[in-house]
Amino acid sequence: MGLITAIGDSAAKNRMALSLGKCGISTLELFPSKYANSLPCGEIKIGTQILAQKLNATEPGITRTTLLALHAFEEAILDSKLTVEQLSSFDTALIGASTVGGMCLTDELYMDAQKTENGSEYINSYDCSSVTMYLQQRYKMAGTISTINTACSSSANAIMYGARLIKNGLAKRAIVGGADSLAKFTINGFNALHILSGERCTPFDERRKGLNLGEGAAFIVLEREEDIDNKKVYAELTGYFNSNDAFHPSSLSDEGFGPYLSMKGALDSAKLTPADIGFINAHGTGTENNDLVESRAMLQLFTTPPPFASTKSNIGHTLGAAGAIEAVYSLLNLHYQELYPGLNFSQPIAETGLMPVDLYTKTTLQHVMSNSFGFGGNCTSLIFSKS
Amino acid sequence: MPMFYIHQTSCISPQQTFDSVDISVLHQPVEHKLKVIEPVATGIPMGTLRRMSKAVRMGVMAALPLLQDGTEPAGIIIGTANAGMEDCFYFLKQMVDYNEGLLTPGNFVQSTPNALASQLSMLKQNHGYNITHVHLGLAFENAMTDAGMMIKENPRNNYLLGAVDDIPSYNYILNSLAGWFKKEPFALEDLYTLQTPGSIAGEGTAMFLVNGNPEDAIAQLRAVETIHTEEEEAVKQRLKYFLEKNLINGEEIDVLITGENGDSRLLHYYLACEEMMPHTTGIARFKHMCGEYPTATAMALWLGCYILQKNPVPSHIIKKSFSKKNCKTILIYNNYKGGQHSFILLSVPGCF
Repeated sequence: MGLITAIGDSAAKNRMALSLGKCGISTLELFPSKYANSLPCGEIKIGTQILAQKLNATEPGITRTTLLALHAFEEAILDSKLTVEQLSSFDTALIGASTVGGMCLTDELYMDAQKTENGSEYINSYDCSSVTMYLQQRYKMAGTISTINTACSSSANAIMYGARLIKNGLAKRAIVGGADSLAKFTINGFNALHILSGERCTPFDERRKGLNLGEGAAFIVLEREEDIDNKKVYAELTGYFNSNDAFHPSSLSDEGFGPYLSMKGALDSAKLTPADIGFINAHGTGTENNDLVESRAMLQLFTTPPPFASTKSNIGHTLGAAGAIEAVYSLLNLHYQELYPGLNFSQPIAETGLMPVDLYTKTTLQHVMSNSFGFGGNCTSLIFSKS
Repeated sequence: MPMFYIHQTSCISPQQTFDSVDISVLHQPVEHKLKVIEPVATGIPMGTLRRMSKAVRMGVMAALPLLQDGTEPAGIIIGTANAGMEDCFYFLKQMVDYNEGLLTPGNFVQSTPNALASQLSMLKQNHGYNITHVHLGLAFENAMTDAGMMIKENPRNNYLLGAVDDIPSYNYILNSLAGWFKKEPFALEDLYTLQTPGSIAGEGTAMFLVNGNPEDAIAQLRAVETIHTEEEEAVKQRLKYFLEKNLINGEEIDVLITGENGDSRLLHYYLACEEMMPHTTGIARFKHMCGEYPTATAMALWLGCYILQKNPVPSHIIKKSFSKKNCKTILIYNNYKGGQHSFILLSVPGCF
């Protein structure tokens, strides 16, 4: 596995920061926006040029989103010791996810769209698939390649699709994940919806004021159980389910039908009961709507929900990357048998009374659920189990 | 075992493919673009319709006839590269025009490519599997693979499978800047003979109701194969492997539908695949009907089903003639921008 977020540029650094309850949400520094000072974000404080040099990816037309993806991808490859031959083999799938893609270059895109000739170097890089396509080209990958965009559940669905490719014999291994970088486009979009907080977000708190956007990328290498041999294994993906809330383009239904169905479906697919889940890595964006609805759905399914928390209080909402980043966090939970504290929590939501984990805890964990819910009602839950 | 059986099809394209299908007469491009003939929108609440972008609107209109009579698919599986892009640019423009000021969120909410799949789930109160593949020229191929896996996992379920892409004006500009459309004016009839770089911009949507039941099916989708490469030899090798793997002993392709699009830089891929077919195989083309866009293979699949149903085949699609009576197996080969290639194999149901 590999990841990069506002609290670290590797899985190890992320684990350390999570354990210490570090928050990477701060003032925007790397690109100009009217909201740089008023809307804090989970920004990775490494400039795009420096990232490009570090990764030896200085060809024209590469966007920040692609660089973040490459960073996480390379760590995952190194960690899993995949060979060049394995990477370029017919039976290695690559499933990426992004919602911003090359749209992080908002101004360049706007300029290009006014031109009649001499497009910029980014002319073929604006769409979401350009991120996956760069990885495919760089590593000459020849298996099934896809890019998924189901808004904020995109990379959870990338993980699910990759797992199903393996299960159905269409791939021997799948490298799955997602990437998104901060963009004026998303900052203004979420701001127009009035769901961005001017302070650090407070998931599941009664007085929560909205979400903070973040950026990052994560990739996971999935392999079949029979191919494991003596390779390093973090956990087993035992359950997944995708369901649509079918209610509203940008908010969840009051009763949380979609979240309930995706969590329930994931349990059924893993052949587990609610009592088997030891921790829920909640979607927990910190918005009025999400946290209340997710709490209701957890109460409905679990009656007494297991310990839960949202790492969005550490890194912000990384949109299309969130499902994959939080999947890596779930793997860390399981592998090291520990829970990381949700930050900035003080008062439970009056209606539900649910309190997220707010202390670093050593524990015994067998199954962890990770939730991702997106615009358009796209809800996906994954279950990882100790192998 | 085929991947799935196709039971119903629906297509909105620049030709008369919706309602009463008549593709004998070619509709011509407008301002160098092959634009869809949009049907009058019915069956969508006015408030919802008003907020829909063109891509979402035409996708919904194409899908609705397949969801009548209480048909409730267990999932909605969409491939698209551009759906949402129109709203994306409207929002971008708002943002620049008002210097990141007070903006209305409508365009932003509709700007995500999953707008079509989610809009369909909302209209039909469908809580099933809901996914949007956006991998450019292979978005629809991945949607087909996904649907195939879903049906293998849940053989009794119906799924709505489809694709949509339109030509938002900004997207047309970007693709023109990148040299993907011919700059010179030309007659549609000359698309394949000009031998110049670039194709013609197009758009369209096709929807399919698919399941694992061969009874009364229109066609069986036997296999899909994709490859990313710019090497002609690698494409040929993959085609050889695909045919060896999927054709039954002695079986031949009756018709090869190619995505030949008039771009002189891409022609060699199509000719290479044509040369690998036996002399009995007929060849058909379709990009003069719908233009070039990332999910054009959905239109090709619709056309394949149309041919397998023994409908009248217009001469304008024929590059090399074939026996319409005995057409049982069709291969579709397409490439998008030279780097993304796909092979799709379909047959009449029950013959293999």
